Amino acid sequence: MKITGNIGFIRKNNVLSPLDLTGGELSFSVDRDETIQIYCLHLIGSLNIKVQLQKEGARCSLNCVYLSHQKARNNLSFEVIHNERQTSSEQIVRGILLDQASMNFLGTIRIPPNSQKCVGTQNHRAVLLSDEASVSAIPELEIYADDVQCSHGSAVGPLDENALFYLQSRGIDKKQATQILLKAFLTDLMPNEIQTVIDEWMAEYV
Amino acid sequence: MAFLEIKDLHAGIGEKEIIKGLNLTIEKGEVHAIMGPNGSGKSTLSNIIAGHPAYTVYGGSILFKGKDLLSLSPDERANSGVFLAFQYPTELPGVGTALFLKTALNAKRKFLGEKELDAVQFMKRLKTRATALGITDEMLKRPVNVGFSGGEKKKIETFQMAFLEPDFCILDEMDSGLDIDALKVVSDGINVMREPHRSFLMITHYQRLLNYIRPDVVHIMVDGRIVRSGDMSLALYLEEKGYEDYR
Ligand SMILES: Nc1ncnc2c1ncn2[C@@H]1O[C@H](COP(=O)(O)OP(=O)(O)O)[C@@H](O)[C@H]1O
Ligand SMILES: [Mg+2]
Repeated sequence: MKITGNIGFIRKNNVLSPLDLTGGELSFSVDRDETIQIYCLHLIGSLNIKVQLQKEGARCSLNCVYLSHQKARNNLSFEVIHNERQTSSEQIVRGILLDQASMNFLGTIRIPPNSQKCVGTQNHRAVLLSDEASVSAIPELEIYADDVQCSHGSAVGPLDENALFYLQSRGIDKKQATQILLKAFLTDLMPNEIQTVIDEWMAEYV
Repeated sequence: MAFLEIKDLHAGIGEKEIIKGLNLTIEKGEVHAIMGPNGSGKSTLSNIIAGHPAYTVYGGSILFKGKDLLSLSPDERANSGVFLAFQYPTELPGVGTALFLKTALNAKRKFLGEKELDAVQFMKRLKTRATALGITDEMLKRPVNVGFSGGEKKKIETFQMAFLEPDFCILDEMDSGLDIDALKVVSDGINVMREPHRSFLMITHYQRLLNYIRPDVVHIMVDGRIVRSGDMSLALYLEEKGYEDYR
């Protein structure tokens, strides 16, 4: 497969439309009672996405799958600013790294003092398929309001040895077992348009 | 040539030796039982036969149908006919049970040079085996072993075994966590698989299971070795006296 760039989609008012990620920088502002969902497949270079939640009831969900191989050194940054009370955000990031690839993920949630009753969550997980691959995930929580709900979590490591062994013990070879577990790791995260590219990438590189 | 022949096996985890010179020979069509106290290395032995990468073999050999089993990957062992029903089956979130079984069956057929089953043939085979073990459609839709009770997990393991038709079945503590009804279902499922070309190794803590599945040979394992072998009367003796004599 030929990797030509990162792929993005945005869902707004239940309409899914493509996003142009070629510049590497995007910012959005979300209005009263509006919801946006952003999906991106990060394959090369740097990607920064910034979202400002401007009015009460504004919500955003930022979803990213990153796949890196060879000597790629990639960067991803999500920044959500809760400019008004009762706004909510969610960041979900899943990564798979091979070879000597590395990734820096910076996830910021900023809640200024007057933005009470906000909800901000961030969850990052990555699978390293090589000892030489590495991930640094830095959550930056700048929370200045006291009545908010925020959480973040990150887990980085190899595939579960017992899960791989279970599949192999039923006759499935290591390569196919790895692909099955990686597919399960990314289940239901991305729209079909992106999932097909992920499948292609896994078939070629894993 | 024996069906399975383990000679002077030494193995463990890292530097810790758990199996300390174990010998075991199983002929085609035989049912063997290994009984032993907790921590004697029974699960370790079954994992080593199946090829778990966490264990290291320091010495000795395992021949299966004349082949050097230790030189094969876990999937090659499975496709050559080895099946381990785990004491604690691993949960696989996001991996659907039916798709998992189809992948496993087709991997084996490919390995044996047979044609893959199409969707209709697969469903037919799945349904027949599932019904016999009380596995519902709903259970087959769930991810592998996720959200199943201890007893259901054992049923699913037995079902996978019936479905994949291996010729050497290792059952690690098949009876733990089963009530009498479930134990009957599971042992019926195992008993119908007893055939002249298929052998079994049942690992158990209690004699109870052996009332349902009668073994040809009973072994006692203590501290990584088989210390005594005999017939069913050995199991009955143990039930009465415990393992004290063998420590
Ligand atoms: N993954 C492991 N890491 C360290 N020690 C282990 C591991 N698995 C088993 N052991 C040790 O090996 C011994 C045998 O365990 P096991 O094979 O589970 O016994 P059994 O199945 O007979 O109860 C025990 O002392 C146990 O603590
Ligand atoms: Mg055990």
